[in-house]
Amino acid sequence: MSLDSTKPWQRFKSLKRGYYSLLLLLTLIAISLSAELIFNSKALVVYYNGDYHFPVFSDVKEGTDFGLDYQYETNYRQLKKTWLNDPENFVLLPLVPYNATETDLSHSYPPTAPNVNHQHYLGTDTIGRDILVRLVYGFRIAILFALTLLLVEYIVGVLVGSLMGFLGGRFDLLFQRLIEIWSNIPFLYIVMIMSSLITPGFWSLVMIMALFGWMNMTWYMRTASYRESSRDYIKAAKAMGASNFRIIYKHIIPNTVSTIVTFIPFSVAAGISALTALDFLSFGLPAPTPSWGELLKQGVDNLEYPWIIISVVTSLSIVLLLVTFIGEAIREAFDPKHEVYYE
Amino acid sequence: MKTLKISLVLIYLLSLSGISFSELASDKFANNKLPGNLIWQTNIDSAEWSSKDAVTGGIMRYSISSFPPTLRTVGPDSNNAFRSYLLDNQIPLVDIHPNTDVVIPLLATHWAYDKDGRTVHYKINPLAKWSDGTPVTADDFLFALELNRSKHIVAPWYNKHYSEQVLDVIKHDSHTISIVGATPKPKKDLHVFYSILPRAKHFHQLNSDWITHYNWEIEPNTGPYQVSKVKKGKSITFTRKKDWWATELPYLRNRFNVDTVILKVVRDPNTAFKYFKRGELDAFNLTLPKLWHDKAKGPMFDKGFIHKITYHNQIEQSAAGLFLNLDNELLADIRVRKAIASSLNFKQVIDVILRGDYQRLPTFHTGYGSYSNTSIQPIEFDLNNAIQLLQQAGWLQKDSHGIRSKGNQRLSFKISYGNKLYEPQVLLLAEEAKKSGIELIPYYLEATSFYKNVIEKKHDIAWLGWSTGLRPAYWQHFHSDNANKPQTNNITNLNNKAIDELINKYRKGTEESLRIKLAHEIEKSIAEQVVFIPSTMKSFTRAAYWRWLQLPEAHATKSSSQLFDPFNSRFGGLFWINGKIKFDSLASQKTGVGFKATTITNTQHQ
Repeated sequence: MSLDSTKPWQRFKSLKRGYYSLLLLLTLIAISLSAELIFNSKALVVYYNGDYHFPVFSDVKEGTDFGLDYQYETNYRQLKKTWLNDPENFVLLPLVPYNATETDLSHSYPPTAPNVNHQHYLGTDTIGRDILVRLVYGFRIAILFALTLLLVEYIVGVLVGSLMGFLGGRFDLLFQRLIEIWSNIPFLYIVMIMSSLITPGFWSLVMIMALFGWMNMTWYMRTASYRESSRDYIKAAKAMGASNFRIIYKHIIPNTVSTIVTFIPFSVAAGISALTALDFLSFGLPAPTPSWGELLKQGVDNLEYPWIIISVVTSLSIVLLLVTFIGEAIREAFDPKHEVYYE
Repeated sequence: MKTLKISLVLIYLLSLSGISFSELASDKFANNKLPGNLIWQTNIDSAEWSSKDAVTGGIMRYSISSFPPTLRTVGPDSNNAFRSYLLDNQIPLVDIHPNTDVVIPLLATHWAYDKDGRTVHYKINPLAKWSDGTPVTADDFLFALELNRSKHIVAPWYNKHYSEQVLDVIKHDSHTISIVGATPKPKKDLHVFYSILPRAKHFHQLNSDWITHYNWEIEPNTGPYQVSKVKKGKSITFTRKKDWWATELPYLRNRFNVDTVILKVVRDPNTAFKYFKRGELDAFNLTLPKLWHDKAKGPMFDKGFIHKITYHNQIEQSAAGLFLNLDNELLADIRVRKAIASSLNFKQVIDVILRGDYQRLPTFHTGYGSYSNTSIQPIEFDLNNAIQLLQQAGWLQKDSHGIRSKGNQRLSFKISYGNKLYEPQVLLLAEEAKKSGIELIPYYLEATSFYKNVIEKKHDIAWLGWSTGLRPAYWQHFHSDNANKPQTNNITNLNNKAIDELINKYRKGTEESLRIKLAHEIEKSIAEQVVFIPSTMKSFTRAAYWRWLQLPEAHATKSSSQLFDPFNSRFGGLFWINGKIKFDSLASQKTGVGFKATTITNTQHQ
């Protein structure tokens, strides 16, 4: 098998569906990471009495800062309307001038249907928050959650799995039994119990889920490193006096990276679905955190306002589809069949 | 909003509703002789509220959200929503007239007040029979006391209440008893505070096996219906007794008309409503604005198959709102409390989320008749006032999110709540409160942990509603006896000498006029402390029902909290089914011919 890491990448690039899915997903992530500049109730630029202000990047600007009569955060949408015919001052608002928690009750009883004039492009939810904005911020949380979870799970899973395969013996036996027992604890019950005792936050939820999610990776890594450790180059490294950790890090993991990489997209998809499911069941992140699961719940409870459920189901399907396409392409790119020829 | 009904809270509330006062009461009536010169009362001439047009027959189908864990009405797991269906079929000795508030006889025919001010004598109706045909006698009341005091029922609250509050039940002859309470009270209150429902003595074997043995036993009752079929996890059916002893009794006649009542378990309320719209349930409570305004629509409503009704009632309002914990050093400053109250935009909550159907609750005890102090108004939403108060209190700096701070302290509080129904309201209020620089963090806890958190006084601000009683209850909520102690109902930790003194006087008062005067004073002093910020109330009940259901001309009573309650002894069972209309309706549903769309609004008691 080749150790040349550029080849799989070249192959991946040649698999158009996966490659473009990756580009699209990365674009979505980039948009969500810079969401404050595109989806925000704070103005990007305010020009008032000869001075430029950048509310997105500064502390809260009170109404009195712009000649208004209130001492709380300026309503920039209102300000823009006020200054519509003012040649001297102006406000530059983001593309969608709402944030993820504010309730816009100025039109009619929420939820309101999608309306371009109100700049609620996907409508509002049951308490008048913009659905598009909540989808974007919710996506950011979901994808960051999935990636963090993946990182934690993989670090633990890969390490334990490699050690099991490499060391073998009692260590292997002990961890095999431990994992068997551990994986039989019903994960959902634990999360339900935990979230009835504490209100879970981002990190506590990552930790709870990682606690029950690290085992999957160990089996694959155990097999892979078991196989590798019997090869000659590992024996050679041992003979040269390399420490166990050096062998694992320098030799085994690089040689099993294809196993790890092919699992990543599916783990991301699983992470997003898990968070969405937990939020749907209201065992996830606390309100008012923007969340796809919470929107999904609202959508299911309010089928007579179809824009809620359509928005969230479409977004969820697109993201999971993209991730799956990427996953397929990665698997194909790393498929050793491309390199090994049978005679 | 009267939605938060954590049964644990109710139990706790009841457990604190009086002073303990032990005295061997049975010594009072030597040889079980009744005192002479008793004035026996029997109020059978008050106006009845049922309809003479009512006819019997038919099946009434409702949904319940969960199957009960037991059919016992006392003991472990019995304090669930289903229990009231069983208890409502146990007729009380007397009740309060739902329209005129006078005492009316039900299981008793006569009653008389003892001159000690805490004992009531009753004559049991000789016609009264258990569902198995055995007559109801004084022994059943004596047994009820024994059962409620017994360790075998594993119900400490009952043990305590029926030892320390209800001091004794005395038998004079087979149909005459006296109930002795702990302290003197105004006459009408005696019936409510010192009441006991009979339990069929011949049916029970009180031993350590009682709880398990009677889990699924159908206990004899005195009411119009008895459980006839239990499909575990699916449904419970009640059937009307063929020769119910009270069929012709004043106040009970022309009521409880349908032959069969089926309670079907439907866990999800949205699904339940779909069942209703399909005609598989007969009536549906539409209190929630979303149901009434958005979901109760469509051809079945437009074509008049399903009718809608709003009935304005006058009942005690649940003390619902925000309880501020004075243990929190920031909340100890009354200016901060006032600022919070001024930052809460309840008008917006009512206008938008509650669609203007609800009103702002003025004060803790609202709807308690003459006991309520109607001159109190809640603090209005006024951001400028809030900002001014906070500046006076020294909250001058603001952080990057616009939240105020003073030194190292941040003006941030958790609002805990135990019911997801409140969530939209909490979120909306928190958004608005940010404007005055106060951060309110919504903090949802599952109902049991929420209750625990609050009763141990670990909250900053708690959003909940207390269940109601007949009279204002100040001691448990606001007396310093219960402040800074876990497991008591003073969840604001209010500790105020002047208020304590007034409460003590109120509790000792036996004169109604004095108690009313004191109640007004206490209510005002408490409102001035701003430890409780009232949220909203509703003064109506509303429902949708298939057109074959008929209601009396007046629809309901002043005290009706529901329109289609099947069993309640005060306002239940007023409706009946018109078989012909049902037949016609089902036929025209097939042909598609409709009727007139009907929405009724009854404002008689507004």
